[in-house]
Amino acid sequence: MFRKILIANRGEIALRILRACRELGICTVAVYSDADRAALHVLEADEAYRLGPPPASESYLRGDLILDFARRTAADAIHPGYGFLSENANFAQACEQAEIKFIGPPSSAMRVLGSKTNARQAADEAGMPRTPGCITGLASPEEALDVAAAIGYPVMLKAAAGGGGKGMRAVARAEDLPSAFVAASSEAERSFGSGEVYLEKLIDRPRHIEIQVLADEHGHCVSLGERECSVQRRHQKVIEEAPSAVVDDHLRGRMGEAAVRLALSAGYTNAGTVEFLLDDNRNFYFLEMNTRLQVEHPVTELVTGHDLVHLQIRIAAGEPLPFAQQEIHLRGHAIECRIYAEDPANNFMPSPGRITRLLQPGGPGIREDCGIYEGWVVPMDYDPMLSKLIVFAPARDLAIARMLRALDEYVIGGIRTNLDLFRQILRDPEFRAARIDTGYLDRLLASYPPGAVSPQPDAPPIPAIAAAAVFEATRTSNGSAAGLQPSVSAWKDAARGEAIGGIDWNPSRR
Amino acid sequence: MKFNLEIDGQTRQVEIDPAELPGQWRIRIDGEDVEADAHLIRPGVMSLLIAGSAHRIVLDHGSGDSALHMGRHRIPYRAEDPRSLRSRRRHAGSDGPVPVRASMPGRVVRALVEKGDHVTLHQGILVIEAMKMQNELKSPKDGRVAEIRVSPGDTVAAGDTLAIIE
Repeated sequence: MFRKILIANRGEIALRILRACRELGICTVAVYSDADRAALHVLEADEAYRLGPPPASESYLRGDLILDFARRTAADAIHPGYGFLSENANFAQACEQAEIKFIGPPSSAMRVLGSKTNARQAADEAGMPRTPGCITGLASPEEALDVAAAIGYPVMLKAAAGGGGKGMRAVARAEDLPSAFVAASSEAERSFGSGEVYLEKLIDRPRHIEIQVLADEHGHCVSLGERECSVQRRHQKVIEEAPSAVVDDHLRGRMGEAAVRLALSAGYTNAGTVEFLLDDNRNFYFLEMNTRLQVEHPVTELVTGHDLVHLQIRIAAGEPLPFAQQEIHLRGHAIECRIYAEDPANNFMPSPGRITRLLQPGGPGIREDCGIYEGWVVPMDYDPMLSKLIVFAPARDLAIARMLRALDEYVIGGIRTNLDLFRQILRDPEFRAARIDTGYLDRLLASYPPGAVSPQPDAPPIPAIAAAAVFEATRTSNGSAAGLQPSVSAWKDAARGEAIGGIDWNPSRR
Repeated sequence: MKFNLEIDGQTRQVEIDPAELPGQWRIRIDGEDVEADAHLIRPGVMSLLIAGSAHRIVLDHGSGDSALHMGRHRIPYRAEDPRSLRSRRRHAGSDGPVPVRASMPGRVVRALVEKGDHVTLHQGILVIEAMKMQNELKSPKDGRVAEIRVSPGDTVAAGDTLAIIE
């Protein structure tokens, strides 16, 4: 087993990995940018080193610096988390050459599966169903027209190096294809440094279902069930759950077998996720493989009972998988909400800044993976995810009720968040009936714009007016009136705590 | 003490006095009396009892406004005396130069116009970026760029005036 692991990431996932290392008795090295000096992953690590200024290109994407710190601290392994360097085959290869274990697949497997066109070829070799379309990049708009004519409209143009919705265009008619081709290609070039695009048949109202796989370095590979990630906005997942309401044992078995075949054929090791689209008739089509730990891995952990980060580390250390496929059983239902610093009522505008107030939910069935605290300043330099709120319950309806309860306990003050959006989705009859597909959330938002349906009461409630009055009275008073004492001293404590820089920590979370 | 409370878009006249016991308050809201028992369990987090009905109310001082979180509602509020209320309204109604304000905290990416340029309503003036999202700030009216107060790389807060269109 490793003695020391460097965690090449930030935020909730850095803390999540750090905790797993602690549980396994492994020392931790954190790295940070100037925006993250006061972050929890730095506070909790055994060692921490500065990478550079806030922009990711000068800090968390500096593979050379990170490798250098790993050498200097004598770390045996690097965990890349998700995002940043996690799917960078060159970085994985540099780790291999430096003989520092990259906790993830070998760089060779990342190269095969990292390009979507290469991955589609690998899917064909593994005998997996995929969407009709091409398996190599398109050379010209003319070639795109030929392929589209052969498979029929509507079609989807996609960047081979893509992700996160960049370089994607849905095209309904031949006359729109040439301009969409140019637009998608130039967007892909700008975003990924490669303008290669390919084309596939657009599946009508698909569900996004993905299979978690784990492969050890001794040729064993298992699948750990599916996650339903159909609630998306602009191709970004918003809510994930496990299991999917529409996947039965038979379908789960077939999708799992296909995912395992692909992983084995590409020489894949460690944790990975095979993404599929599922159509109305429950036909599944290979979409892509993510060669890393996913943001939404906790829902799988809750329904399988297995700690994926522990297993990632054990596999990277050369241990065999501790269980066989038939020993994996799903139990109960888990839902995850991705809480973002953004304002749904104001066109989802980012909302970085200081968290002045934080009340987090607790009680049965609640898990929260986050890297925030009261007083933390959410940097403007990284993605807006603050926290992953995850619930577990025996069944889907109970999990929804539990999540709504947890959301009502949750207060984040000082910045705007999307907490209200989750309340709206979880109360929506379509979501509750699991009638969801990747276009579901856009339709909901179009019918009920978040600002407009904000569930404000008609008149400000009396308790709110009374509370505002008390807050005002205690704020402006000099504290001489007899009845004000308790509130005033508490108020002064607050002012003192805020004056010396956000140390008024929520004691219940420690 | 007496003040006007602007809360959730409405204005209420509020009078509040401490009662005999610590934490007890007599509050008159638009002439109606309410007895409240308020206890801060920690800064900004109030346990409020009104005739036995229990509420958790959390104070949220964000950039620019104050609000209360009560149950699943976020309720913005502001306490004012009538004089400042009038002066603010006078300002809001003024003509002439109009500011281009930051719609979110972020960093200035680039200016799309220069000082002295003629611009039209909704023409892009500046691009700011936060959390991997770019946002184009548009001209509030037809006019001329009187001033650009920021340069690429500057950090701005939500609501900051970044340019003036006259």
